[in-house]
Order: sequence, then structure tokens, then C-alpha cells
Amino acid sequence: MVFEGLLIIFTKERYLDLFLEGLANTLILTASSFAIGFMLGLLIAVERLYGPRILRAALAAYVETIRGTPMLLQLFLLYYALPSAGIAMSALTAAILGMGFNSAAYQSEYLRASLRAVPSGQWEAALSLGMTKWQAIRSIILPIGLRSAIPALSNELVYLLKYSSIAYFLAVVELVYAGKIIGSETFAYLEMYTLIALVYLVFSLLITRSMKKIESKIMIPGLAVTAERT
Amino acid sequence: MPGSTVFTSIAPYIKVILDGLPETLLLTFGGFGIGLVVGPILAFMEIYGPKPLARLAAAIEEVIRGIPLLVLMFIIYFGLPELGIRLTPLPAAILAIGIRSLAYQSQIIRSAVISIPAGQWEAALSLGMSPVGAFINIIIPQAFRIAIPGLVNQFTVDLKDTSIAYAIGVAEIFTQAVHVAQVILDYLPPLLFVGLIYFVLTYTASSLASTLYRRLAIPGLGAGGVVTV
Amino acid sequence: MSDIVLRVEDLWKSFGKQTVLRGVTFTVKRGEVKVLMGPSGGGKSTLLRTINLLVRPDRGRIELEGIEVFPRPAMKINKIRERIGFVFQQFNLFMHLTALDNVRIGLIKVKKLPPEEATRRAIEALQMVGITEDLWHKYPAQLSGGQQQRVAIARAIAMKPSIILMDEPTSALDPELVGEVLKVIEELARRRTTMLIVTHELDFALEAADEIMIMDQGVIVERGTPDEILRNPKHERTRRFIERILRRQERLNTLK
Repeated sequence: MVFEGLLIIFTKERYLDLFLEGLANTLILTASSFAIGFMLGLLIAVERLYGPRILRAALAAYVETIRGTPMLLQLFLLYYALPSAGIAMSALTAAILGMGFNSAAYQSEYLRASLRAVPSGQWEAALSLGMTKWQAIRSIILPIGLRSAIPALSNELVYLLKYSSIAYFLAVVELVYAGKIIGSETFAYLEMYTLIALVYLVFSLLITRSMKKIESKIMIPGLAVTAERT
Repeated sequence: MPGSTVFTSIAPYIKVILDGLPETLLLTFGGFGIGLVVGPILAFMEIYGPKPLARLAAAIEEVIRGIPLLVLMFIIYFGLPELGIRLTPLPAAILAIGIRSLAYQSQIIRSAVISIPAGQWEAALSLGMSPVGAFINIIIPQAFRIAIPGLVNQFTVDLKDTSIAYAIGVAEIFTQAVHVAQVILDYLPPLLFVGLIYFVLTYTASSLASTLYRRLAIPGLGAGGVVTV
Repeated sequence: MSDIVLRVEDLWKSFGKQTVLRGVTFTVKRGEVKVLMGPSGGGKSTLLRTINLLVRPDRGRIELEGIEVFPRPAMKINKIRERIGFVFQQFNLFMHLTALDNVRIGLIKVKKLPPEEATRRAIEALQMVGITEDLWHKYPAQLSGGQQQRVAIARAIAMKPSIILMDEPTSALDPELVGEVLKVIEELARRRTTMLIVTHELDFALEAADEIMIMDQGVIVERGTPDEILRNPKHERTRRFIERILRRQERLNTLK
């Protein structure tokens, strides 16, 4: 079936182009939304742990709102509802931002758990040396906390790869959308979707493998993994 | 107040959106229910089954977890008819959500069971319990408690992802909200309203779960490092 | 310049309903080694932590080399802490840094020394505590407890603080590792390093202390030279406390 799907792609140059465009957009969606999610997520995690009280409450509300509603809904708000407020953007941009904002909420939770799990003695030792609060966060808490968050972040990356398929609903030409077009022209839905499923699977495994490699490279004896995504 | 104008414009349509609630709940409970039945079977196959069976279970789990729900749904709804299996949208969506859910539930159950110290087994067997008796009386009650937060998290994931059934035209609340939006030519009010419904539902599920978790809590028996809820 | 390094006056601290410090007063002179002993839960650890403001006292006064530390710090808190070395019961080496980097990081980030200069001073400190070159690039988890604590001491002395506070530096160690750490602290004492040490090691206290203070239920109940404390305790409670330690040590010795 996978093989037949591959054959179909190669029957017309247009199909191959569509398929490759889809793959490229899927990877762009995944990588960019992960990057946005990481930067915002780290900011949220640090501010929720060490920031001023009002900001903590506001960020907590943000995280809970995102986690309590579907990602699809969030993308629709950005793409279809914002233009009435005068903010319009391309479907791809809306999808990247929507996924990024969504991921920020989840990543902030993993990072917060990891940072909080850094033993309090590390804090005390850093402060006792004369470090300021932000020096201690930067040179001690973050390097330890970020390392133990790697498995959770790696799961999040795989999660985003799969959920990039939601951009289909905004007519972004990612893998599923490309498959749908080719499938509807050739009536070989089963073959196309099976092929696409396999592509996701292969990339999920690739991500998991390489993150494990990164982890083992920068892991330090005695550091525990704290957060795990289910 | 902007809030009130937002909702007055959809007041006549609120019923239309709420009409989708039974479908949303069917998708959620149906999908999660499939996972709740099949997930543990897969988990036990992986832990206690003979090697080939354990490998097979692990492979099934890994494959499902590597594929987006939307693709599963499309394979079932658009692909299976090529093999002569035709499902209407609702069952197709329930099946897709169920298949996805079972792979995750299997993992949650498995790590819960594995986290129980071997000493518990040994103590139970030393008392003269049979392996099955030890499993039912000693392992399951502990593993279940450990698995609660993970399972509830999966429940809320399934709940939120019922919105993906919009892709094959199931008339659940998200689909209904989009239809209303297309009629009144304004997306904001229906989307905010349907967002509120999801939020209330996930919040209720999480609160019930933490109540249950606290009620059943036994000192010293933790949630095994599962961060959620 | 006065030779009083640390002055603590009428220090009070409560956690909720529990009053842990009830008016503690003492001074530490330059080059002096003061040992603080007493039953667990007597407020010794809290006292050390109030001195470098890891714990904020409720009232009283703390001065470091004539500079007010509490209630109105005359300089930024981190600048004050820079001048107070602290050695923890649980070592608290930075988990993600090697032994050498643990000693260097304060010199680089806080003292702003150039890296080569920091390395030179770190190595000097590590050699002083007997950490040999083969251990410099090991992570804390790869070191024994005794080695970790010696690196922690090196981390403190490399900063050249005005005083070093030690909070039961050998209590978390396996018995066979206690000796190597005490030897290092005794060496520091011989070099007239100003120190305030909380410990249960009576032999060490008798050997190294210029003055011993006994603390119980938030107050210093007795103070004097080791001889005075051992031979002529003023309080019944002190006598019982010392007897208890002596008995425990005898038991340990017969075990050995």
C-alpha cells in the first residue's frame, strides 16, 4: 500500500511537487512552532517561578486557557476571527503562531516542573557565593533544569510534528493537505494516507532518536530526568 | 461591554452549538472508552506476554503514537471504503479517537504497573497468593491510583481533539460553531463560546479527577512522576 | 580597624509559632575559630543561615567587619554574601559542573576574574584541600561524599571570604570519610582562617576551637574555651550533652 502510494506520487511531476511541498511545510510548521514555544515557554516558566505576583497570575491564566481548549480552535481564532479586528496574516503564519502559542503553554509546564525540581541546595549554594538572583537562575538553575527537561521537550517536538496536520484546516499545503489533493484526483485515498502516515512515523522516530543522542551527549552524571509527558 | 455584544450576536445560535454536545460527548466517551478497554490489554501483553507478543504490542503502540489523529481519521473514513469497509462519520471518528487513545492509555498503564516495586510481588507470592491473585489484589489497586492523573490527562486530550472530527463532518460543537460563524459572518463570538464549553468540560474533568485522586490517595503512593492535571 | 569580623546582637527568629532563635549574641574575631554545638533542632543551622541572609531574622543586629548586614544592609545582599563563605551539610556542589568549575564559577561570575586567573586560584584551593588533578574534571556524582565536601570547602576558600560558616560539614558523611574532611578544616584552623562551625564532633571541637558555644532551644547556654567547657560546665544541661557525645564516641571507637 505504501509502495503504491509512492508509485502514485511519481506518476505526475505535479504530485511529487505537491508531496514535497507538503513535507517541507510540515517540517517548517513543526520546527518554527517548537522554537516559538520554547522561547515563550521558558519565559513563562521563569516568570511564573520568579517573577512578580501579578504576572504569575496572568501567565497561569494564559496557560490554563490554552490547555483547556483545542488547538484547532486556537488556530481558527487567529486565522478567521482576528481579521475582523484588523489583524490578518497568511494561513502558514497563523498556523505557526497558533501552534507556537499553544506549545508555549505546554512547554512552560514541563520547564517549570524541571526548574522547580532543581534541589533547593543549589539555590542556597549559588546565593551564598554572592550570585544575584538572575545570575543564579542563568548559571545554575537553567543549565540543570533544561537538561532534565529534554525528554519532555523531545516528546513535545513529536507532538507538534503530528499536530502540524491541524494546519490542514487552514488550507496550508502540509502533508495531509497534499495527500488529500492527490487522493481526490487519483481516488487512491488509502494508499496516499498510508504513505503519509508512514512519513510521520519515520520523522517521529528520527526526532526521538536524535533527541536521545543529544540528551546522552549533554547529560551529566547524577542529573535526574524530572518531567515526562504522557 | 465588549463581552456582552459578543454573546448577544450569537444568542439565537447558542442552541445550534449546544446541539453538537451529544456528539462531542459520544466522541469523547466512546473514544476514551475504547482506549480504556484495549489499552490495558496491550499494556499487559507488553509486560507479561511472551516476547513476540510483547514486541507486537510495543510496535502497535509505537506506530499509532507516531501518526496524527487527523490521518488516522482519514484512513478510516476515506481509505477503508477501498477495502469495502464503510463507516459513517461519527463511528469513524470514534474509532480513530479510540485507536489513538488506546496507544497512550497502554503506555500510562504500563508505566504505572512497572513503577510498583518488585517487593510487592514477592510479598504477595510469599503470602501464598497465586500470580493472578497477586495481580488483582496487590498490583492493580496500586497501579490504578498511580495511573489516574495520566488517564485523566488523556481524557482531556481526547475531549479537545473531538474538534478534529470537523474534518469528516461530524456535527459536534466545534463543527456547529463554525457553521454558525459562516451564517452570521463573524467567527469571534461562536469560537469564544465553544471555547468556553471546552474549558468548562476539561476543567470539570480535571477537578473531578483530583477529587478522586485525593479520595483514593494513600500516603507514600505517588503519581509516579506523571505531571499533569 | 577593629579585629571583630562578625558581630551578632540579640538575634531573634520564628517560623510560624515556633521561635528558633531567642536573642543570640556573640562575636567572632579575625583568625578565631568558633565552634557551635548543641542538640539537634536547637537553632544552630538557622543561626548560620541568618548570618548570610539565606534566612531573614525577625530582629536583632548583624555586622560584618563593621558593616551593617541586618536590619539595614549597607550594601547589596549578594555583595555581603560574597564575603561570607558557606559550607553546607549536604555539600550542595553544582550538579552540572565539574569539581574545578564548581570552584571557578564564583570567581568568574561573582569576582569577575579572567578565566585563567580563576583557574589558577581554583587549582590552588583544590590542592589545599587535597583534591588531586585526576578529580578536577569529575562531576559531583562521580565523587565520594568526602571528596565532594572538600571541593565545597575549596569553593568557599577560593573566594577569600572574611569568614567561613560551616553547617555540620561532616554529618552527611559515612563514618570512614569524616576524617579526611576534618583534617582539611583543622588545617584551615591552623592557618588562622576565621570560621564559625556547627558540628557534633567533640574531639575536633576540643582540638580546633578557640571557643565553644553550646546552643539549646534558641539561646547560647554556655560558652568558653574547650577546657572550660569540658572540665567545668556551668550548666547541668551542658554536662549531660557532653556526656552523651562522649558515650557515643566511645561506642564508635570500640566498634572501630
